[in-house]
Amino acid sequence: MIGTRAEAGAPARVRLERRLHVETRRSALVRIAGLLVALVVTGILLQASGRSAPTLAGEVFRATFGGRFGLEETAVLATPILIDAIAVAIGLRMHLWNIGVEGQFYMGAWAAAGVGLFVDAPRPVLLILMALAGAAGGASWILIPAIARAYWNVNEIITTLLLNFVAVSWVEWFSIGLWRDKEAAVVQATPPVGARLPLLPGSIILHVGFLLPLVLAVVFFFVFRNSRWGFEVDMVGGNPRAAEFAGIAVRRRILSVMLLSGAIAGVSGMVHLSGATGRLQGTISNAYGLSGFIVAALAGASFFGLLAGGLFIALLLHSGIVLQSAGLSVYIVLAIYGVVLIGISVGEMASRYRLVLGGKRDLASGPKEAPP
Amino acid sequence: MRILLASLRTAIDAGTVVVLAGMGELVTERVGVLNLGQEGLIGIGAVAAVIVAEGVTSPWVALLAGMAAAGLLGFLFASSVVVVRTNQVLTGLAVVLIGVGLSNQLGNNYQGSPVVHRFVPFDIPLLADIPQIGPALFRHDVIVFLSYVALPVVVTFLLFRTRHGMNLRAVGENPAAADAAGINVTAMRLLYTSLGAALTGAGGAFLMLSFTHAWSPNVARGRGWVALAVVIFAAWRPSLLVFGALLFGAMISLGFIAQQQNWGIPSSVLSMLPYVVTLALIVLPPALGRFGVKVRSSVAPAALAQPYFREER
Repeated sequence: MIGTRAEAGAPARVRLERRLHVETRRSALVRIAGLLVALVVTGILLQASGRSAPTLAGEVFRATFGGRFGLEETAVLATPILIDAIAVAIGLRMHLWNIGVEGQFYMGAWAAAGVGLFVDAPRPVLLILMALAGAAGGASWILIPAIARAYWNVNEIITTLLLNFVAVSWVEWFSIGLWRDKEAAVVQATPPVGARLPLLPGSIILHVGFLLPLVLAVVFFFVFRNSRWGFEVDMVGGNPRAAEFAGIAVRRRILSVMLLSGAIAGVSGMVHLSGATGRLQGTISNAYGLSGFIVAALAGASFFGLLAGGLFIALLLHSGIVLQSAGLSVYIVLAIYGVVLIGISVGEMASRYRLVLGGKRDLASGPKEAPP
Repeated sequence: MRILLASLRTAIDAGTVVVLAGMGELVTERVGVLNLGQEGLIGIGAVAAVIVAEGVTSPWVALLAGMAAAGLLGFLFASSVVVVRTNQVLTGLAVVLIGVGLSNQLGNNYQGSPVVHRFVPFDIPLLADIPQIGPALFRHDVIVFLSYVALPVVVTFLLFRTRHGMNLRAVGENPAAADAAGINVTAMRLLYTSLGAALTGAGGAFLMLSFTHAWSPNVARGRGWVALAVVIFAAWRPSLLVFGALLFGAMISLGFIAQQQNWGIPSSVLSMLPYVVTLALIVLPPALGRFGVKVRSSVAPAALAQPYFREER
C-alpha cells in the first residue's frame, strides 16, 4: 500500500500519506477535538436559533457544579451510562455493535424488579438475587441476536436494535399494567422494590452503584491484558480468519462476548432501579443505553478513556435536563450526540493521515503496511 | 370478512413508509453504502413536509420538501462516508441522532395541528368496483400506488435491465473492478446514497401527508430500523421488499383491529408485535437453512459498508 495522492495524475506537491501507526495520544487528542468541534457547532446552532449560547452554558455549569446536589445528580446519571458503555466496549473489542444496550437495560431492570417485588429476603441477599436476575434479563435479551450473529451471520446491529422497541413496550406493559402500584393511583409505576442500594457515606442521593463502573473498568482492563479469553477475543477482533486458523472457536467467542455485554447492560438496569428510581416505570431509562453507546464510541477500546467520556456525556445529559427548563426540548441532546459522533469519526479518519510537503511520490520507499 | 378487508387496506397504507424507506436503503446498499440513518431521515422528511405543508396548498410541494431535506442530510452522510471515508456504522448512527433530535426540536411547534392539504384516496376505475377486495386494494392515494407498483418496477428495471444499473451494482460488489472499467465510484456512491435518502424522506413525508396527518415526537417509531431489516429479508431485491413491508403493515393493522374490536390484548403487547415479526423475518430464514430447510440465499453486496481506497486496489 502506498500513500494517498492529493491529486491523481500529475506529481503532487502536497499529498496525504497514511500513517503507519496512530499513537494513543494522537487518537485521544482527536477525540477530544471532535468533542469540542461538536460543542462549538451546537453553540453556533443555538445562537442562530436566537438563544444565547454563553448564557445557556453558564446556566448548565451553575446547575451542575454550583452545589453538591447537581454534582451528585450528574454522578447518578453517569452510573448506568458508564456501565452500559463498558457493555458496548466489550463488544467493540470484537467489532460487534451491541446497540441493544437500551433494551437490555430495560429487561435487566424488569427482571430485577420482579425479584425485588415478589421475593422476600434480607436486603443483602435480595440485592444479590436482583443483580443476578438483572444480568440474566439482559443476557436473555441479546441471546437471539447473539446466536443469529455467531451461527447464521445475521447482522447484530439491526437485531439488537429492533429488540429495544420490544423491551420498552414490555416494561410499559408491566409497569403500568400487570405490576402497577394500585395503592398510589397517581404513580404510573410498580410499587417500590424490596431492597435499595445503600447511599455512599455522606451523600444525599448518590448510591454505591456509582462504584461499580469503576470496578468493572479495572477488572476488564486486566481481563483484556492478562487473560487468555481476553487475548483470544482481541485476536478475533483483529483478524477473525487468522484467529480461526489459530484454533480459536470464533463462534463461541462471539456468543460469550455478546452474552457478557448483555448481562452487564442488564446489571446497569438493576443498579439504576435499586439505586435511583426504586420503582419500575416506563420511563426508567433516560437514553442511558444510547448514551453508553456514544461513550464507548468516544473512548474507542480504552476502559479508562471510557470513564472520562462517560462523565462528560452524563454532564451533557444533565445539561439536557437543565436546557429543558430553558425551553429547549430534551431531543436537542440527541442532535448534539450525533454531531459528536460525526466529529469523532471524521477526526479519527484524519488522524490516520499526515500531510507531506514536496517531492515526487516514491514508490519504493513509500510506507508499507497491510490495509486496515 | 369485512374486518379482514379493512385491515388489508390499513396494512397497505401502513406498509408504504417501509416500502419507500426500504427502497431508498436498497438502492444505497446496492451501491455499497450502508446507511443506518433511516430512522433519522424519516423524521427529517416528515418534519420538513409538515413545516412546508403549512404554507402551501399542494401536498406535492410538501412531499418534495421532505425529499429534499432528507436528501440533503443523505448527501452530507454520503460526503462523510464516501469522500472522507468515515466509519459507516458510526456515521449512520450520527444521522439517526441528528435526524431524530433535529426533527423533534423543529416539530415541537407543529404538534397537534393536522396537515390540511393531504393526499386523498381515489378509486382505480373498474378495479375498485370489484366487490369486497376492490376498495381494499384499489382505493388508496397516489403515493401508495406509486410506492407499491411503480417504484419496484422502476428500480428493478434500473438495476437489472440497464447498463447504468449494472454499473451501479458493480460499484457495490467490486468497486476496484468498477473503477478500472472507468466507472466513477465516488460519484455513483454520492448520487445513489443521496437519492436513497430522498426516497426515505418521501416515506417520512408520506406519514404526514397521507397516514397520521399530524406531527408527534419520534414520528418514525422504529420504521427506519424495520426498513433496514426488510432489505435483508428481501435479499436486496425490490420485488420482495414490497412483501416484507406489507407484512409489517399487516402487524400494525392487526394492532388497530385488536383495539377496535376490544380483544382484550393490552396495547403494549400489540405494539411489540411488528418488531418481533420483523426480527423473525431476518433471523428465521438463515436459521431454517441451518436445519436443512431450503431457503433462497440472501447475500449482501460484497463491498457493503466498506470504504473504497483507490490506492489499495
